[in-house]
Amino acid sequence: MDVDDLIFQGADYHYKGELDKAIAKFQAAVRIEPQNEYAHNQLGILYAKKERFDAAFREFQKVAQIDGHNTYALLWLGILYLKQGNLNQGFEKFQRIIEIDPSNADAYYFLGAIYNFRHNTTKAIKYLKKARDADSDESDTHYRLAQAFHNLDMTTNALLEYQRTLALKPSHTKAINGIGWLYYNRGERDAAIAEWKKTLKMNPRDRDAIFNLAKAYNDLAWEAMKRNKPKEAISYWKKTLGVDPKNKAAVHYLKKYGA
Amino acid sequence: MDRRHFLRWIGKGILGTSGFWLCARGVAWGKSAFEYALEGQNLIAAKRLAEARDVLKEAVRLDPKSDWAHGLLGRAYYGLGQRAEAVAAFREAVRINSADTYSRMMIEIITQKPIPKPKKPRRSLTPLEKKARAEEEAMLSQLTPEGGLAYRVKRVVIDPGHGGFDSGAVGPTGLKEKDVTLDLAQSVRRKISEEGSIKCFLTRTGDYYIPLSDRTVIANQYQADLFVSIHINANENRKAHGCETYYCSEKASSKEAARVAAFENAVLKYDEPFKKRPGYIDIEEILFNFERRLYWEESGKFARTFQNRFEQALPFKSRGVHSANFFVLRRAKMPSILLETGFISNHDEEAALKKASIRDEIVAAVIRGLLNGRG
Repeated sequence: MDVDDLIFQGADYHYKGELDKAIAKFQAAVRIEPQNEYAHNQLGILYAKKERFDAAFREFQKVAQIDGHNTYALLWLGILYLKQGNLNQGFEKFQRIIEIDPSNADAYYFLGAIYNFRHNTTKAIKYLKKARDADSDESDTHYRLAQAFHNLDMTTNALLEYQRTLALKPSHTKAINGIGWLYYNRGERDAAIAEWKKTLKMNPRDRDAIFNLAKAYNDLAWEAMKRNKPKEAISYWKKTLGVDPKNKAAVHYLKKYGA
Repeated sequence: MDRRHFLRWIGKGILGTSGFWLCARGVAWGKSAFEYALEGQNLIAAKRLAEARDVLKEAVRLDPKSDWAHGLLGRAYYGLGQRAEAVAAFREAVRINSADTYSRMMIEIITQKPIPKPKKPRRSLTPLEKKARAEEEAMLSQLTPEGGLAYRVKRVVIDPGHGGFDSGAVGPTGLKEKDVTLDLAQSVRRKISEEGSIKCFLTRTGDYYIPLSDRTVIANQYQADLFVSIHINANENRKAHGCETYYCSEKASSKEAARVAAFENAVLKYDEPFKKRPGYIDIEEILFNFERRLYWEESGKFARTFQNRFEQALPFKSRGVHSANFFVLRRAKMPSILLETGFISNHDEEAALKKASIRDEIVAAVIRGLLNGRG
């Protein structure tokens, strides 16, 4: 069979989710044409989807040996290095991509994410802005940029990027939770609570939203106690238990103050 | 795929669609989109690619919903070496018809290597964007760019263990863990604030109870770079003594570490692993796991740094560094450690912990640990 037919059929099987058949076609293609970068890259992705990460790694390495400018293969090598926990090698691959293609949004994204993980926020912002400017349609780029701004107390920028995240993906609950903290930290508690409730409507088991709400209600309860308003405090502790039924603080204080 | 193969594809494409020509849409008065597309297809086959491109542009103008015309336009662009435009045309074809395998494949082939990005038109800024830009100009000009991949600590959350009705361990003469941890934490915050390079927040500032879940929520609330939970150890065996540092890891480093973690983890476990979707690679899951792994590694480094400081500065025996799966540490989205600064159940160490001078030494050791680990 002609190599192009094999590749087309392999691609078709891949899109239809028939991974084993796709692998067979691409394997046949690279036997005929061992230098075919696309077929090796497809094999890499297919092996990764089958969780055969070592085999995937070898395919992407072959592509990088055939042509060191194949940024797709370099990107996946970087990702697989991160999967192995190899920070420096992953970082090096993403930097190499930027040298080859200074407008590669994906490589900037991963570099920004790595700097975020190292809490080197100024660098994270630099790279994530480049990722955003190269491709503004990725919700996670906006989300990670929002986190970096948030970490530097640049709250307007953080809010803007959280909002951009949600414009692209309204179900991005981490962004909603982040907006909640922006509001909470500037004293807009009701607005914060409304955000976390939004998250719980989308996912009633979202642990961050559950614990954020429980903390907010516990704080409000304590403030009510300080103002000598035990009834109000009790109503807040009840709300705590509404979201986090085993919250030890709320259970204890409700018992103590006679709910 | 090289150009030779591509041209062979084109030939197949023409043969493959020839049946379609005969039964296709009706021809309207004047030249229809279909006729333009057909002409474009023939021009591609004749390798008259520039003419094909122009004709196909007309076809998609007349019928923007024709995936066939967009796909052909992609081929013409690709043949002319206009790879960015080719990708845009193929993407449009796929957007209209997600089952268009050929266009999808061509996008993947072309984007394996860099393509020039089309310039985006500028638009005016929204009020929030204007405000954000002003904030950015004001803030970023004050910051010194930091190179390297060393972990940075600029914000720390100190967690005085226990509080309120939960007194923690109580010493033989009545010293309560919750009071010692609060005093130590407040001193650390006061002194680190004086030093000025690290912002410090406390999970509690008085004698009240905070559940474990709230403690890491506070660390996440302040986007902390490091979470330090201060505790005083206790054991039924009054002879047990010394200080030790814990950090979070999947497996406990010893049976004793597992016991301590089990004792501290008296809460419901909400953690749900990522749901595996077969045949799907979740990049964000890879990043999540990588991030967690980095934080755990970093936690181990911080734990060793702090324990070294304790060894050098405190009159307590060093019991070393241990790891276990602590709930209070696991939910923190940053490196996190748990300090056990002596045994309150031991007569001598309880007496030592009552002394202001010993507490000052503990605080000084914690601060040296923080400054040492600031990156």
